Amino acid sequence: MKKVFQYLPAFLFCGFIFVMMGLWLVLPKTLYSPQEKRTLAEFPELNGNTLLNGDFQKKLDTYLSDHMPGRNFFVGVNAVYDLASGRNGSKGIYLGEDGYLFPKPAEGGENLLKNAAYIKEFADDSDIPVYMTVIPSSGYVNRDKLPWNHESYRDNEWIGAFCGQLGEKVHFVDVQETFVETAADTQLYYKTDHHWTSRGAFECYQALGKTMGYTPLAESAFEKETVSGFYGTSYAKAALWFLPPDDIELWHNRSQGKDAVKVNIKDGADSKSNNSYFFREQLENDDKYPVFLDGNHSLVRITNEDVPTGTLIVIKDSYAHTIVPFLSQHYHDIIMVDLRYYKKEVSALAAQEKADAILLLYSLDNLAADTNLSYLF
Amino acid sequence: MVFSSFIFLFGFLPVVLALYYITPRRFRNLTLFVVDLVFYSWGEPMLVLLMMVSVLINYIAGILLGARRQKKSLSRFIFVTAIILNLGLLGFFKYVGFIGETLQFVLPFLNIPILEVSLPIGISFYTFQTMSYTIDVYRNAVKVQKNFIDFGTYVSLFPQLIAGPIVRYADVAEQLVHRRENLQQFTDGVKLFLIGLAKKVLLANQMGILWDSIRKSGEASGALGAWVGIIAYTFQIYFDFSGYSDMAIGLGKMFGFEFVKNFDYPYISKSITEFWRRWHISLGTWFREYVYIPLGGNRKGLGRQIINMSVVWFLTGLWHGASWNFILWGVYFGILLIIEKTFMLKVLKKLPAIFGHIYALIFIVLGWVLFYFEDMNEMGSFVARLFGADGWMMSSDVTPTVLAYVPLLVIALLVSTPLFTTIYHKIKWQPMQLMIDNVGCVLSLLLCTASLASSSYNPFLYFKF
Repeated sequence: MKKVFQYLPAFLFCGFIFVMMGLWLVLPKTLYSPQEKRTLAEFPELNGNTLLNGDFQKKLDTYLSDHMPGRNFFVGVNAVYDLASGRNGSKGIYLGEDGYLFPKPAEGGENLLKNAAYIKEFADDSDIPVYMTVIPSSGYVNRDKLPWNHESYRDNEWIGAFCGQLGEKVHFVDVQETFVETAADTQLYYKTDHHWTSRGAFECYQALGKTMGYTPLAESAFEKETVSGFYGTSYAKAALWFLPPDDIELWHNRSQGKDAVKVNIKDGADSKSNNSYFFREQLENDDKYPVFLDGNHSLVRITNEDVPTGTLIVIKDSYAHTIVPFLSQHYHDIIMVDLRYYKKEVSALAAQEKADAILLLYSLDNLAADTNLSYLF
Repeated sequence: MVFSSFIFLFGFLPVVLALYYITPRRFRNLTLFVVDLVFYSWGEPMLVLLMMVSVLINYIAGILLGARRQKKSLSRFIFVTAIILNLGLLGFFKYVGFIGETLQFVLPFLNIPILEVSLPIGISFYTFQTMSYTIDVYRNAVKVQKNFIDFGTYVSLFPQLIAGPIVRYADVAEQLVHRRENLQQFTDGVKLFLIGLAKKVLLANQMGILWDSIRKSGEASGALGAWVGIIAYTFQIYFDFSGYSDMAIGLGKMFGFEFVKNFDYPYISKSITEFWRRWHISLGTWFREYVYIPLGGNRKGLGRQIINMSVVWFLTGLWHGASWNFILWGVYFGILLIIEKTFMLKVLKKLPAIFGHIYALIFIVLGWVLFYFEDMNEMGSFVARLFGADGWMMSSDVTPTVLAYVPLLVIALLVSTPLFTTIYHKIKWQPMQLMIDNVGCVLSLLLCTASLASSSYNPFLYFKF
């Protein structure tokens, strides 16, 4: 018996490397990793050329690591190990209290001010009123749920500096305080995703009303439908697989007329339409957030026949998809533009649509990183 | 191919182990030689030819030297030619760009063209190995190896091919032909390999992340952060290199070879002299054996000894890389060693041991500053930062990162000392030892695989040389 244990390390080691190799050869290969949202490497091209210049060897290594047996298991083990050895946030995501995952604070202070200058120039030239709000990050708002050791979230400083550069013509609505206050007893952000929840969007919708001149509907005007099993991007990055999923709430206006809503999506030559703000087929996927307005597209027109007039242009990132259904209760037409894909002049679009107002809506993290605001004009 | 990669662990190694052990004993060197060439050509498909040239030069030199042993002048001519060829190859592929740049800096009006030559992996290591053979044959210290396969196997043996240890031919001549693999040795090899793998993947890589992060934060790190950073680098380079050596020695055992120890807890040294007896032992041995002693060592008076030490340490620095900071690093240690030899060691002996430890560690850590920064301006500003030029405390942006690494820094500190090894050997109850062995192996395998799966951050520091 002693002999067995004495040599066991050798057998464990050989067993492990041989079994791993065997599984690698035998297991079927998937081409897409839903966790990482990317296509995995394909088996590299093998010929004299690629072999001699080392190309095949390099790509084979990527191929092997992309398709390693039990990849998710091992990545999860590593995430738990990092956490246990003190490095919460080693993958860019902090694990906080109550299963909250927080992306680390964004970088890009200089870019933020550059973007402020673009927006100022755009608003100064615009005859249509320009409104703007910046959504603070989950880590800033839910500060009491952060782990004890974390980098500072300076949303307050950054948004302040950003506002200071915007000039008089941008009507800026600051939701930071409201968010910090309401976050104590409501869930404004998903736990497993960086986006805000329908509740978070609703709070922002309430706050925007005063400045934009509409009377927001009360919470009781909506019927909430809960969809469970949402694992967001923070979950995929953190790889802490034991965490429970989020619920997504779809808020339906109780008095909305049948077929009153029409969503038209234009993305280059492709187009599609839907008679709801919610694209239910997206609930089948791992990432369920695109249930709101079908995710990112260059141009989306949302028409609500229950509202007689009003045209609003929304220049935005993906956070807007949750709030636009609320705003749509006050505008006949909302035209949602994503500057990451829409490369024409926004001012021309606004004039052509005879827009009544323009709203810029970004999350702080995206705004700090975004380099597409030069496409405003 | 690096050891801590999937292609090595779960592709190359199982295939090679299987091939090796189904090969009849007398053809095993041939199997090894073939897989060595595959291993080398994995990263450098064309440069494997260069290594073959090096093997051929020294193989032929050995044969010729053996045949012409009686004729002194002829064998000296053969010997000198072989050494010039060896150093010529190393010089051209490693130093030609550096020499060009230096000449252009000193004599800019000459317009010397700078050749861009990419450094073949492991050339510094295998050139020193082949030279050890040729020198020892010339000195009649070893027998000529007439079997090309056996000689080729010695030079290109994949465990130590790309990052050492520098195995002298004399140390393995016997094993090349007469080794007997056995299960106990194999098991010991597995254990050592897994220790090395864990050092590399779980400690060195993580320390590297900390060092990179602190370095990039620049002035914000302050003196305190800068010290934490360079200490992290001190751990990174030790665990990277000694981990690689452990893996190499462990792999050697799996194929029946016993290589000499390359590291012996260098950071517990009480002097720089002691540090260099514990750090990269195979390189120190090589320089002592083939440069310092032939120059006369310490047998020709103190003046001559100081000159000899200067030569050795200039060359040691130069060996580490074709850049002035490495020469500076070598000279720095040369000066420290000369100071120790002349009086410092006597002083240290009279003081309590703790002074020796502190003194040695400070100079070792500062040495790594010279070693790391190839750009002299960056080096200057980092040294200034260490001594308070950018303030003493670190900013609140750097603190969370440093705090997150405190547990690993403590583990790294403990693993740098013989503490765990001593405890392990104090255990007299064998079942306990066996349990530690097995649990340790499983943990190392699991966590290293997990870490590799999760990260593409896997640069081997010692590839530069």
